[in-house]
Amino acid sequence: MSFRLGVDIGGTFTDATLVDEETGAVRIAKVASTPSDPSAGFMEATRRILSEAGVEGGALRYVVHATTVATNSIIEGKVARAGFVTTEGFRDLLEIARQVRPTLYDVHFEKPRPLVPRNLCFGVRERLEPDGAVRVALEEGSVREVATRLRDERVESVAVCLLHAYVDGEHERRVGEIIREVCPEVLVSLSSQVAPEFREYLRASTTVINAGIQPVVARYLESIEARLHEAGVDAELLVMQSSGGVFSSAAARSRPVFMVESGPAAGVIAAASLGEALGLADLISFDMGGTTAKVGLIQDGSAKVTKEYQVGAAARAGIGGLALSGYPVRTPVIDLVEIGAGGGSIAWIDSGGLLRVGPQSAGADPGPVCYSRGGEEPTVTDANLVLGRLNPSYFLGGEIELDAGAARAAIEERCAVPLGLSVVQAAHGIVEIANAAMVNALHLISVQRGYDPRGFVLVAFGGAGPAQANALAREAGMPTVLVPTSPGIFSATGLLSTDLKRDYTAAMLRRVDALEPAEAEAAFARMEAEGRDALAREGLAAEEVSFVRQIEMRYVGQSYELTVPADDLDAAVGGFHAAHDRAYGFSAEQEPVEVVNLRLTAVGRIAKPQLARLEPGKPPAERARRPVYFAESGDFLDCPVYDRYALGAGAELAGPAIVEEFDSTIVVHPGYRARIDDYGNLFIHA
Amino acid sequence: MTLDPITFEVIRNALVAATDEMVLALRRSAYSTNIKTRSDFSCAFFDAELRSVAQGFAQPVHLGSMVEQVPKAVLEYGPENLGPGDMIVTNEPFPGGVHLNDISLIAPVHAGGRLLGYVTNLAHHVDVGGGAPASIGAFREVYQEGVIIPPVKVVEAGRLVPDVFRLLLAQIRSKHETAGDLRAQVAANNTGVRRLQALVERHGLETVAQAMEELLDYTERRTRAELAKLPSGTFEADGTVDNDGYTEDPVYLRVRVTIGPEGVRFDTVGSDPQRRAPVNSTYAQTYSACAYAVKCLVDPDLPVNDGFYRLVRLDAPLGSVTNCTAPSPVVGGWETQTRLNDIIFKALSDAMPDRVPAGTKAMMCHAGFGGVDPETGEYYCFLETFAGGYGGRIGSDGPDAVQTHGQNTENAPVEETERGYPVRVECLELVEDSDGPGRFRGGLGLRKDYRFDRPTTFSILADRDRSGPWGLFGGLPGRKAEYVLNPDREGRRLGSKTTLEIGAGDVVSYRTCGGGGYGPPHERDPERVLRDVIERKVSAVRAREEYGVAIVDGRVDEAGTARLRE
Repeated sequence: MSFRLGVDIGGTFTDATLVDEETGAVRIAKVASTPSDPSAGFMEATRRILSEAGVEGGALRYVVHATTVATNSIIEGKVARAGFVTTEGFRDLLEIARQVRPTLYDVHFEKPRPLVPRNLCFGVRERLEPDGAVRVALEEGSVREVATRLRDERVESVAVCLLHAYVDGEHERRVGEIIREVCPEVLVSLSSQVAPEFREYLRASTTVINAGIQPVVARYLESIEARLHEAGVDAELLVMQSSGGVFSSAAARSRPVFMVESGPAAGVIAAASLGEALGLADLISFDMGGTTAKVGLIQDGSAKVTKEYQVGAAARAGIGGLALSGYPVRTPVIDLVEIGAGGGSIAWIDSGGLLRVGPQSAGADPGPVCYSRGGEEPTVTDANLVLGRLNPSYFLGGEIELDAGAARAAIEERCAVPLGLSVVQAAHGIVEIANAAMVNALHLISVQRGYDPRGFVLVAFGGAGPAQANALAREAGMPTVLVPTSPGIFSATGLLSTDLKRDYTAAMLRRVDALEPAEAEAAFARMEAEGRDALAREGLAAEEVSFVRQIEMRYVGQSYELTVPADDLDAAVGGFHAAHDRAYGFSAEQEPVEVVNLRLTAVGRIAKPQLARLEPGKPPAERARRPVYFAESGDFLDCPVYDRYALGAGAELAGPAIVEEFDSTIVVHPGYRARIDDYGNLFIHA
Repeated sequence: MTLDPITFEVIRNALVAATDEMVLALRRSAYSTNIKTRSDFSCAFFDAELRSVAQGFAQPVHLGSMVEQVPKAVLEYGPENLGPGDMIVTNEPFPGGVHLNDISLIAPVHAGGRLLGYVTNLAHHVDVGGGAPASIGAFREVYQEGVIIPPVKVVEAGRLVPDVFRLLLAQIRSKHETAGDLRAQVAANNTGVRRLQALVERHGLETVAQAMEELLDYTERRTRAELAKLPSGTFEADGTVDNDGYTEDPVYLRVRVTIGPEGVRFDTVGSDPQRRAPVNSTYAQTYSACAYAVKCLVDPDLPVNDGFYRLVRLDAPLGSVTNCTAPSPVVGGWETQTRLNDIIFKALSDAMPDRVPAGTKAMMCHAGFGGVDPETGEYYCFLETFAGGYGGRIGSDGPDAVQTHGQNTENAPVEETERGYPVRVECLELVEDSDGPGRFRGGLGLRKDYRFDRPTTFSILADRDRSGPWGLFGGLPGRKAEYVLNPDREGRRLGSKTTLEIGAGDVVSYRTCGGGGYGPPHERDPERVLRDVIERKVSAVRAREEYGVAIVDGRVDEAGTARLRE
C-alpha cells in the first residue's frame, strides 16, 4: 500500500488530502489554520488524516504542500532583512518603481512600500550596453565596499540586479561571489538566475521578492520537514509552485519566488488532471467558494499561465487588468480571473438605488443570515435558500440547520422592499447578478484571450459552484458542465495529481530573421540540460522527463509578448501571427517579428492516482420533492431531489432536478439532463 | 416603464466590461512605449444621442477629452455618413479637442438593425509631425505643432482607407509605430463593437437602449447623493504656471468652485488671456481638470458618464488660457490643466482639509527627442513624462516620485529605452532633500539623466522651475524642478519649455520638484524625521533646520529637538 498526502494551508482552514495510489480512494481532513505557526496546523491535519485512515507515516510516498507563507510574508511586511545591489545611479529602482498611483481617484493613496528600505539599497560601478558589451568594467573595490556595508547592516539576504544582466550575467555572478566572500552566511539572489528577463524594475522586483522571502521560506520548510520526520514521515516534501507544477523543498528554498501563488493553482490543476483522465482536453475551471469565484482555462490539457502578476495587489486592481498595485513578479503563475462573488457575497442597495452583490462577503463568520450566527446582511447563499435550491436540513450534510425564514426576512427588508420587488424576485435578482459577474469573468478568461468558450467543458466545484454552473454554462453557450465528486474538496486533490516542473527563461531579444536556429537550439539544449539535472536530483530518470519549448514573440516595436510553441521555429512565426489575430483581432504578416524570450518547462511526470470507479446502481430514486424557483419558468416548479451518493454509474435524470451531497448542491435546469459517468462524475448536457 | 433592477445591473456591468476590454486590447497590441507601457490612452462608449455611457480610463486627464470631442466630431462629420464598419479619426483641437498628439478613433455601433451608439478610443501618439520630434516643442501657432486631422473616415466597411492612412502617415516621423498604434486603435474599437453587439443579441435592442438611458439617471442620482455630503458654498484660489516658453510672465490662473444643489460649477474668470505660446488649455482640457477634481471627492465606485457630467459645469472665458481659440498652440495645455487641479484643491482646502493634498508636482513634465537613425535610416521619436513629489495629506506624507492628478503614466523602463533608442540613461534616482517640509512632508522628486552619443533634437515641455508646489496649513513648498544640460561640465540651466539641438556626448538632466508639506514642519513626529534621515531622503542638516529635529548617533536627541522647536 502506498499513499500520497496533500496539505493546503488556507486563511481559515488547513486541508489534508490522502489518496490511496492503487484504489484512487480519497479522504480529507480539515483543521483550523494556525497563522502564528502554520506548521502546527500542518502537523495537526497530517496526524488526524493518518490516524483516521489508519495509515502509517512510512506508507507515504510523498507529501505535497501548498502554502501562502510566501505571499503572506510579503503582504504582512514580514520579509527578511534584505539588501539590494544594482548599477550605480539606480539604487532607487524599488522606491520609484513604475512611478504611478495604484488608484486613480484617491488622494490618500500609498505606493507599495519597497521590500528593501532605501538605506539598504546600493549601487556598484559597472555598466553593460543593451547588447551585453561592457561599457564600464566591474569595479570590484566598489563591490567590496558595498559587501562590507551589507555585513555591517546584518542583512540575511541580498538581491542583485544590474542593468542589462539578462543579456550577460557575468557581472552579477562576480558581485555574488564577492558578497559571499565578505559575508558567507548571507543568501544571494541574482536577477540573471532568478528571472533573466528585460525591463529592470520587473526583474529587480522579482529578485527582491526571492531574496526577501528566501530565509522565511527556508525556515518554514525546515521546520515542517523536521516535524514530519518526528512523526515518522520521511517521504519527500514537494511544494506547489504558482505555475501548477511541484518542486522539491530544496528547489523551493533556492527559488521561493516561484511559489508565491502556491494555493490557488490547485483547483485548476485538479480540473486539468480530471480532464486528462476522462479524455477532455479543453476545460474552463470554475471554483466558487464563500468569498470569491475563480475561473481558469485549460487548453489542450495544459493550464494557461501568465507572467503578468503582482503579489499583494488590491482585490480590485486597476481598470481593465492594468494592475498597478502590489509587487510585480515575472515568474509563471496560473492565469486566473478572480472576482468577489461567492456564496457569502453580500447583496446591498447602493446610493443610486441599485441592487449590488459583493465584493464584501459575510465569509464563514458571521456567514449568511441563514447560518443564524449573527449575520444580518443577505447573501447569495440566502438567496439560493429562498429559491428552494438548498435544503435547510442538509447543509454540510446537516451540520448546520439553515434558517430559511431569517433569510427571507433579510432579503425582504434589505432588498425587496426598497426595490419594490417580491422576495422571490429579489432573491432571484441576487443570484442573477452574481451569475452575470461570473459570466464576465468567463468572458475575460476565454473570449478576451482569444478562446471560444463554446468549445470548452465547464468544470464546476467549490461549495457554491455546482448550484450556479448550469445557468452559467447556458449563458456562455457552453454545452457541457462537469461536476466532480465531492466538489467542496476537489481543489485539494489537485495537489495529488500534479507533475514536477521547472521553468527556465533565456532572454533573446532580436528579430526572428536574425535568430540563428543553432543559437536557439543551444539555448534550449542548455536549459534542458539544467532541467534534466535538476529533476534527476529529485530522483527522476531521464525517460520520465519531457520538455515543453516555447517562445515569446511580438511585432517589432510592441512590448507585450505572446507565447507560442517553439518546437519548430518556422512554424512559431506563423503561430505567432495566428495567436495575435486570436487575441487582438488582427495580425500583420508583413511586419517584422521579434523574439523576446525562449522558455523551457521541464516536466517530470508523476503517475496519477487511479480514479475510483463507481458501480452501476439502480435507476435513480427521488429522495424528496420540493418547490424550486426557475426563472425560465417564471415560477416555482415541483422539483425532484436526488441523493448523489445513491446515484450509480450510468444513472440519468432530467431537469429540473436537485442533486444533494455533503458539501454541495447541484442544480439541473429544465431542459437539461444529468448523467453519472463510471467514476461518479456528474455531467450536465442540454 | 423602467427596467427590472436585475436586468439593469446585468447590462450595466456588461457595458463597463466592454470598455474595459477595449482598454486591454489597445494596451496589449499597441506599438509605442507611450501607449503600450505607459498607458496614455482611454476608451469610451457613447449612445446614439452622443451622450457618454461607459468609459474605460487608463488616464483621468481624458475624463473631459472624449466627452467634448466625440459629439462634436460625429456631428461635424454627420452621423448619417457613418455606416457599419466605418470609423472616423480626428485630433482637431478646436472645437472640443485637446492637443494634437491625442488622436481619437470613433466607430458607430450598429446592432439589431439600428444605431446603438459609438465606441471610441483616444491615444497619445508619440509623434504627429510639426516642428520638433515627439511633437512637444514650444511654438507660436497650432499649425506648427503637427498635423491637424478633422474628422475623416479612416476605416470604411471594415477596411482601412489607404489614401487617408497614407496622407496621415506622410506627416508623421515615427511611421512604423504610428501605423501600429492606429491598427491597435482599430482593433480596440472592433472589440467594443463586437461586445456590444453580443449584448444586444442577448437582451434585445430595446432593453439595452433602455438600460443605457436608466444608467445615466442612476449615475446622476448617485452623484447628487454624493455631492450632498460635501459642504456647499463657493471657494476660490489662484496660482500660476511659471512662464509660457517665450516670455517669463507667469501665466495667471484663477478658479472659483461652487458646490450647490445643482451640482458643482467651476469658473475660471480672471485667468490670463491666451498666449502665443504653448500653455493654452482648450475647454475640453480645462473641463477634464474639473471632472477629475469632482471624481476625487465622491465614491470611487461611482460610474462616469453623462449622468455625472450633467452635474459638473464649467464657465471658462473664451480666448483665455483656460479656453483658447484657434490658432493658439495647445501642446502645453496639459501643464495648465494639471496646475488648475492643484488650484482647485487649494480652493477646497479650507472647507475640506481632510480631502485634498498640499501642492503636488502638477506638471506633465515631458521629455521628447528624436532623429534619424543612421543605421536604419528610420526616424525615431521618444516621449516620456516624469513623476515628482505628491503633496502631504492630513494624515500621511506625500508619496515620493509619483504621477499626480489626471496623469498616471508609467515610466519607460531603462532597458527598453536603451534597446529601442540611441540614448543611454545615466541615472534614475530620488532627489534627496526635495521634500516640502510639513507635519506630513511632501514626496521627493526624481532625477533622470539622458546621455546622447550622436546629435539629437530634444524638447522639454514642463514647468515648476521657478517655484515649487505650495504647502498647506503651515507646510512649506517642495523644492523646485531643474532642467540642466551637461551637469558634470558647464551645467547650463535649460528653460522648462524649450527645444534644443544636442551634440554627441551631451547629457540632459531632469530633477523634478518635490511635493508641498502639510501642517507646520515642527509638528512632524521626530521618529518620522529620523527614518527619513536613516533612509537619506532628508539630510541631518535639513532635519535640524527645517524640522527642528536633532539627530545624534542615529537617534533622536529629545532635549536638542525640544530646544530647536522652542
